[in-house]
Amino acid sequence: MNDIALAHYLFTGAVLFALGMVGFVTRRNMILMFLCTEMMFQGVVVSLVGFSRLHGNDTGQTFVIFVLTIAAAEAALALGLVVLLYRRKRTLDAGAWAELNG
Amino acid sequence: MPTLLNLMIFTPLIGALLCLVAPSKQAAKSIALVVSVVTLAMSLVLAAQYDYHAGGVQFESAMMWIKGINVEYRTGMDGLSLPLIVLTTALSVLVVAASWNIEKMTKAFMALYLFLYTGMLGVFLSLDMVLFYVFFEVSLLPMYFLIGIWGGPRKEYAAIKFFLYTLAGSICLLVVMLGLYHITPNAADSGGKPIWNMMTLQSDSVHALFAKGGTYWVFAQWAFWLTLVAFLIKLPAVPFHTWLPDAHVEAPTPISMILAGVLLKMGGYAMMRITWPFFPDSARLFWVCVATLGVIAIIYGALCAMAQSDWKKLVAYSSVSHMGYVTLGLAVLTRTGFDGAYFQMIAHGITSAMMFFMVGVVYERAHHREIDRLGGIWLKWPGYGGWSLLCFFAGMGLPGLCGFIGEIMVLLGTFEAVGHGAGHTTIVYTLGVLAAFGVVLTAGYILWMFQRVYMGLPKPDYDHYEPVNTREYAIMTVLGVLALVFGIVPMIVFHATGVTFNHLFAMLAVQ
Amino acid sequence: MSVMADKLAGVWPEITLGLGACVCMALGLAKASSTRKLTSWVAGLFLLLSGVLAIAGPQPTSGLILPPQMVLYVKLAVVAVGVVLLLVAAQLPSSWRATHRAEEGIEPFDPANVMRGEFFAFFLFSLAGVMLTTTANDLVWLFLSLELVSLPTYVMVATSQDRIRAQESAVKYFFLGALAVAVFLYGFTLIYGATGFTDLSRVQSAAATTTSPLLTLGIVLAIVGISFKIAAVPMHFYTADVYQGAATPVTAFLAFVPKTAGFVAIIILLSMLPQWPTHGPIMWLLWIMAALTMTVGNVMGLLQTSVKRTLAYSSIAHSGYLLVGLLAGPALLTSGGGGSGAIGNGIAAVLFYLVAYALSTIGAFAVLGCVQVDGHEADSFDDISGLSTKHPGLAAVMLVCVLSLVGLPPLLGFIGKIYLFGSAMAHRGENPAFVWLVVVAVLNSAVSAVYYLRIIGACYFGKPSGRTEPQHCPSRRIAALVCGIAVVVMGVAGNRLVTLARESSQLAQPSQQTPAKVVSDELPTDIHGG
Repeated sequence: MNDIALAHYLFTGAVLFALGMVGFVTRRNMILMFLCTEMMFQGVVVSLVGFSRLHGNDTGQTFVIFVLTIAAAEAALALGLVVLLYRRKRTLDAGAWAELNG
Repeated sequence: MPTLLNLMIFTPLIGALLCLVAPSKQAAKSIALVVSVVTLAMSLVLAAQYDYHAGGVQFESAMMWIKGINVEYRTGMDGLSLPLIVLTTALSVLVVAASWNIEKMTKAFMALYLFLYTGMLGVFLSLDMVLFYVFFEVSLLPMYFLIGIWGGPRKEYAAIKFFLYTLAGSICLLVVMLGLYHITPNAADSGGKPIWNMMTLQSDSVHALFAKGGTYWVFAQWAFWLTLVAFLIKLPAVPFHTWLPDAHVEAPTPISMILAGVLLKMGGYAMMRITWPFFPDSARLFWVCVATLGVIAIIYGALCAMAQSDWKKLVAYSSVSHMGYVTLGLAVLTRTGFDGAYFQMIAHGITSAMMFFMVGVVYERAHHREIDRLGGIWLKWPGYGGWSLLCFFAGMGLPGLCGFIGEIMVLLGTFEAVGHGAGHTTIVYTLGVLAAFGVVLTAGYILWMFQRVYMGLPKPDYDHYEPVNTREYAIMTVLGVLALVFGIVPMIVFHATGVTFNHLFAMLAVQ
Repeated sequence: MSVMADKLAGVWPEITLGLGACVCMALGLAKASSTRKLTSWVAGLFLLLSGVLAIAGPQPTSGLILPPQMVLYVKLAVVAVGVVLLLVAAQLPSSWRATHRAEEGIEPFDPANVMRGEFFAFFLFSLAGVMLTTTANDLVWLFLSLELVSLPTYVMVATSQDRIRAQESAVKYFFLGALAVAVFLYGFTLIYGATGFTDLSRVQSAAATTTSPLLTLGIVLAIVGISFKIAAVPMHFYTADVYQGAATPVTAFLAFVPKTAGFVAIIILLSMLPQWPTHGPIMWLLWIMAALTMTVGNVMGLLQTSVKRTLAYSSIAHSGYLLVGLLAGPALLTSGGGGSGAIGNGIAAVLFYLVAYALSTIGAFAVLGCVQVDGHEADSFDDISGLSTKHPGLAAVMLVCVLSLVGLPPLLGFIGKIYLFGSAMAHRGENPAFVWLVVVAVLNSAVSAVYYLRIIGACYFGKPSGRTEPQHCPSRRIAALVCGIAVVVMGVAGNRLVTLARESSQLAQPSQQTPAKVVSDELPTDIHGG
């Protein structure tokens, strides 16, 4: 365990965050886009835990609890919206948003 | 007296509100007429009470408005504003008379016009920079609607263009004001507060900040150009003039009269009130550039006028050309030039209003303004033709009429600028000769136009035109007599401005 | 118990709003239609009550990052503008088909379809979020309150209209919002990593002793993420779609509520720094954001055919102007000696302008909301064409509100702009970049006039289309009228708001080490005559 240094945590967090960001920009399926934002949240969480270990206090981990709570709330909202839209459009492709553009 | 002055500014505004609630169109017109006559009377009382030997700012009143930034409501009258005020109030009566047959939304028209009137008086009478700015902007809006609602086929385009050009100018002015706000507290006698009083802004202690090589010399140069651009747009001068022909062509006749007669003068007035006196060192540095702008406006405006087939557009371009003399006369920094520029503003106020009215009389009957489709009007209406002759010759600058005095004094003043220094002789002569050539061009386009419109035999379609009525004759008679009087006794104006200009010129003279 | 009471002291208004939201939700489920219709009144009542509590209730004694006056100012602004927004939105639920049918007794009441209670509950929750943002003293708190502002608005947008474009725009809004949250959370994480604290006052003291690039990066990321809330570049993409897709009352809501929360949050974050960033990377970040935001907003505003989209781009542009004031910072750093005065305090300018902008833009949106074309809300320029002939009052309100957005004196927006740009000019001595920013801003103001004038032109010069019919919503008309009058009266005579904003922004310096002094406090602003 001890050979997992701060850098590893931060690196993992940053990679998760960056992957999520890239995925968000490139994917067009709404479920996948949402999962990408979740991945970014997880990158944040890993970094928080890493910093918490570095500073030797629990504040970071407390923060994590709140982040997860909000992430859950967002997930509920996202699924609600996606289902609402799917019922009316029968597709999850963001490219099918025709009503509004530019 | 200060009360009367403030009352004069806001009488039209009260009139505007009354017009909105007026029971009928006729009532609104009567209210507007009464208000403008009352305002004219007030301005004449003020002119009679003004102490011409003492000069300077009189009837001054001040009240704190926004204490945190030291902005005051400060008004007053001096030699620079007095003749313009009388011109404005006199023209206003004629403009109301000229708009007597406006039938579309008459109440709103009169209300907007009176609102504009308050804006114009406010611009000329405010002595606080911020107050001046507020009135300067306020006068924009009614004009926008007057062109945009009562204008010709491309009214929207013209109204928006007018608004945007002027707004761009006032934004330049705003930048300068933000600078002044932060810089003027450094002046010796400011007490650490920003100075907005336009008279204090011309005092030695503020000049010291903006002097050549002083702490804020760079700012002073920028500010000179920014304010200049703001007012050149209003004047208008080439290359900022393109809004003017559009606005004039689309505007109804009375609005063209007030636009050419008074609104353009705001630009010239503001240059004499702000640009030159605030930043005299910059004016001395850049005088050749500014004078060149003036000459370009004279020549270019005249050439454009010559090329027009639309009668009203021709008159509009003649305004550009005539206003070039104002720029030139101010730029050369000689007393004669300065007096000439000011007189040119008054004279142009009379002649241009009259020219637009003359065009309007025909347009109302012919419903077109194509010079080539007109001709022989003199024989149709000899009386109208006679007044037109006087009017256009005054615009041309025929001796004995008001247009002559301003032009000749500006030209003389330009040649006097040889005294500014050895290096400038060639430049001064070039500018002077070119400006003099502008007079020839003016004669050219006016005579050519006059020949095409008035000479020859009347066209057959004139038969069903209504004759020129008494109201119209009355308006042209008043304007014509004024053109004649100012041409013969120009001292009326110089008597009013003399002492004020002595003081003003003392700080502008080239040492 | 007393510790808890002290902690609660600052948040009674928020608690009131939260309670109000719960009451609204319960009322929305009432059997009788007449009871359900009381929801908007109850919401208003709780809103006013929270305003009273903000003034007269217990005041927090410690633990605030922002000065207490500023907290109070923002809370009162939220209440005041919130009341106007409520007036605009009061009749919105009746325009939804299911809710309308249930109320008219055409269909039986079905809690799953009737959303009146939820709408006003979310309305109050979001306002409570803004208030909570001002009292934040911990990164966690800041994060939660910002989320409390945004989450309800997603639902409000989605349910605001029966048309599919509302749902589409809500999804867009939500997804970009989620991305933005992740970005600013990552920023918060880095701030925590750099200092070891989430408690903002301890972050502040830690930042004063050490300078770490990690902290700078954290603040940069946080600001970029929060730019979503204020609709600034680079997170502005949703604005036009969402403003157009949402029902007009909700659009008006979006133009004020998240923007205010975002600016307050950025002010809190920047006050973590030992010195207001007038140099260095954060200053340049804000500089570029400001310049790009207003330019993008105004240039895109020129190209629109929909009034709502135009106003959306105007909202982006105004965020750019606000960023200019934000950049100028809390106090005038005197460089040339002497020169100073009321103009120069950028934070005061931002606080003032937020309200000035809100009143102007809400007035414009309220007018749009009062007009119906073919059963839909007015949207395109054709829809409001010739408004002045049919509804001179509405057209007049549109006129003054739009002119205030242009910044024409003596209207409210003009005073706001003077303060914003003037405060940036105050820094010309130490950093010439500020002068250029003002130049960019001023040019932008000129460009923006083009599309604002198109709105006025459509109202006054256009031909009436004949398809327009007035919407039956008296309170929305009242709101429009209130905005119109406020824009004129407060512009001409109302220096009270300026005074309030200035007094409230004695944010002074985050730490006492900086050489600057808060000059603006020395000159009391008052209004005489006018």
